[in-house]
Amino acid sequence: MQYVIVGIGGQGILFSSRVLGHIALSKGERVIGSEVHGMAQRGGSVISHFKVGDYNSPLVKANEADVLLAFDQNEAVRNMHFLKPGGHAVVNTHAPAFAENPSLTKWMSEREARLHTVMGYDMLKKEMGGRFLFLNVLILGAMCGAGVGGVTIEEVLEAVRALAPAKFVEDNVKAVNLGYEGTK
Amino acid sequence: MSNKQILLGNEAIARGVVEAGCEVAAAYPGTPSSEILPAIAKWADDLGTRTVVEWGANEKVAFEMAAAASFTGKRSCAVMKQVGLNVAADPFMSVAHFKLKGGFLLIVADDPGPHSSQTEQDSRFFAMFAKIPCFDPATAVEAKEMVFDAYDLSERHNVITMLRPGVRVDHCRQDVELKDVIDLSRPASFEKDPNRWVCLPARVKVNHPQLNEKREAIREEFETKFSKYNYEVPARKKARLGIIAAGVSFSIVTDILRAWGADDVSVLKIGTPHPLPIRMVEDFISRHDNVVILEETYPVIEMQIPDRTKVKGRWNGWIPSAGELLPEIIEEILCKVLGKAAPEGAPDDLRKAAEELNITPRRPMLCPGCPHRASFFSIRQTLPKAIYPSDIGCYTLGVNQGMVDAVLDMGASITQASGLYMAYKADGKEQPIVASIGDSTFFHMGLPGLASAVYNKHAFVLAILDNSLTAMTGGQSHPGIGDKLRKGETGRKVDLEGAVRGCGVNWVKTTAAYDISTSRSLVKEAWEYARTHEEPAVLIFRHPCMLLRQKQAVIPVTVDPEKCIGCKFCINFFNCPGLVFDEKTKKAYIDERFCVKCGVCINVCPHGAILATEGEEA
Repeated sequence: MQYVIVGIGGQGILFSSRVLGHIALSKGERVIGSEVHGMAQRGGSVISHFKVGDYNSPLVKANEADVLLAFDQNEAVRNMHFLKPGGHAVVNTHAPAFAENPSLTKWMSEREARLHTVMGYDMLKKEMGGRFLFLNVLILGAMCGAGVGGVTIEEVLEAVRALAPAKFVEDNVKAVNLGYEGTK
Repeated sequence: MSNKQILLGNEAIARGVVEAGCEVAAAYPGTPSSEILPAIAKWADDLGTRTVVEWGANEKVAFEMAAAASFTGKRSCAVMKQVGLNVAADPFMSVAHFKLKGGFLLIVADDPGPHSSQTEQDSRFFAMFAKIPCFDPATAVEAKEMVFDAYDLSERHNVITMLRPGVRVDHCRQDVELKDVIDLSRPASFEKDPNRWVCLPARVKVNHPQLNEKREAIREEFETKFSKYNYEVPARKKARLGIIAAGVSFSIVTDILRAWGADDVSVLKIGTPHPLPIRMVEDFISRHDNVVILEETYPVIEMQIPDRTKVKGRWNGWIPSAGELLPEIIEEILCKVLGKAAPEGAPDDLRKAAEELNITPRRPMLCPGCPHRASFFSIRQTLPKAIYPSDIGCYTLGVNQGMVDAVLDMGASITQASGLYMAYKADGKEQPIVASIGDSTFFHMGLPGLASAVYNKHAFVLAILDNSLTAMTGGQSHPGIGDKLRKGETGRKVDLEGAVRGCGVNWVKTTAAYDISTSRSLVKEAWEYARTHEEPAVLIFRHPCMLLRQKQAVIPVTVDPEKCIGCKFCINFFNCPGLVFDEKTKKAYIDERFCVKCGVCINVCPHGAILATEGEEA
């Protein structure tokens, strides 16, 4: 399973691959991935690669990702070429009209790639006082809701409970469930 | 139960350092190396070792601290990024000649791409330059393993060794096996011996030939005894192509070949690029008609091969001479060499979609609420005609506000200000100059430049942007803070104003970075002083970094669409992620996803269109 996770520096995207890694390791699987640190973390485009299985390289090659997890819809469009034919994009969306773009829908349908959108900002604003840092687990919930990514909602919740700082566990669980309901 | 954990490459390397019995470690932070030293402290605490782990004020300082510790027989290590070794090059070249006592490991993190650096230089060349052995890991797991062999080699040959992970090893995340620490029980014991520890020219006549002998003895070991790092992955059928690969390029190319199901390509992995096991490489080349070399970022292996007739590499243009060897690039090279159809590039439909949706890559920006943004705004509004040399740190992103005109390396804001002053002085002209530098960078390499500017009477303003942190690299402490690396270990804070005065600066004042009106009048006063007295004036802008999450006033703001005339002044000169321009309504608005309610922008709009909605204390 190969994941590409994209977003904007400061959105906390590194935590998502930690959760996926925790799940894989508990199943005895090998993992390797690549993160971005440093200048790009200051609000620029960031990309994180994560692979579960027998791989040597930490990078996902274009046309090979099973799942693209996007914290930002613009970054999703910029990085959609990582998706393999039949792959799934799970996208946090703030302006849903982008999904209607004819060039995008043509590309997706030609290769039977699926787009799953979730209105993460709206949900977090409404349900969690606008604490947008919880996007990183909300999007994992959305991935499970869409039935893609090879992990179950129970596994995500268990991993989040194990990894999140104690005082934020309940908030994280809530955000995972919000995302799950958003795409189920 | 297997003791495996998913670790960042840098954490794996740090674990190796502690397990190998290293007792003194020093570094200056720099991406992609920054996580190594804090992880050494963490593992040392977990494993209960007494390892002394400290930040040096710069890489030269850190290197020399670690070097001297190895003179006592302790295992030591110095950690830095590739450009950090430029700073530490002087002691590095010297110490290579020494007959060391304890194992001394230099970890240099390279940044092909580059992602967070001013160069993408290849530190393996530095190892070759200094004639010392270098390990080039392909994965985090291998990097950790190499630490043990590097120490062993260092002690058996009494020579410094280099571990050179690239960014994709430093910042890879992989499942790594944890082991126990080797107990060396080695008390510090410095034995006086000027012939050994003093780099007199007369000694070089002895040491240099000895260094050459060490290098050849190590080369011989690399030929025969390091098959876990230097090995061949043979083709199942007769090979059409032989690939020599090092570092993460090896990992990438083997994944590509497996995905292709290729059975007619063999790969020679080289984990010790210097000194190169030449017999092994020549044997491989002799058995193939076609050989490609994949290594980052310079042709270090390639240039050590005596006969390159069959080699497709950088010397004959087959491999790009700049940039990172990403999977897509390596695949393209293989397709070209093998005469396969090239894979599809960025698809047209997606490019069109991005254009139609007006999507461009997001450039890095200063964080919302960052005090540097306010400081830059105050300077720019006061002295718009000044030249603004700046420095290496988050504040390099002031380039978005037109506040960064020239950047070279750590500390060069001050020395460039001097050079600019000298050039205009030669014409008899007065030119306003405001240099900017961060607090950590000032202690790193700002002090010598400032002393020199005072001595030579150079008129400019130096803005020290003091956010009380080494921020760009993730928030490390430094001499101006006083806290040491380990939580609860307190050092002594070096007074910034005192250090500036100590360099001989007469005009030193401090302002609150968020207070734009006071800051503006002080910028004016500073330049007046510098200009009339012909000497540098130093204005310290102070406010803690947003990463520190210190409590501050919460001031939610809104843009009044009635008052906003759409002039984009706030966008162009303040450049905050929370302040956006709506192309449809031609008005600015607050993007709640990013705004942190610092309230500074209220004082930015010349039309008073940015208003506080309510105030509260957090």
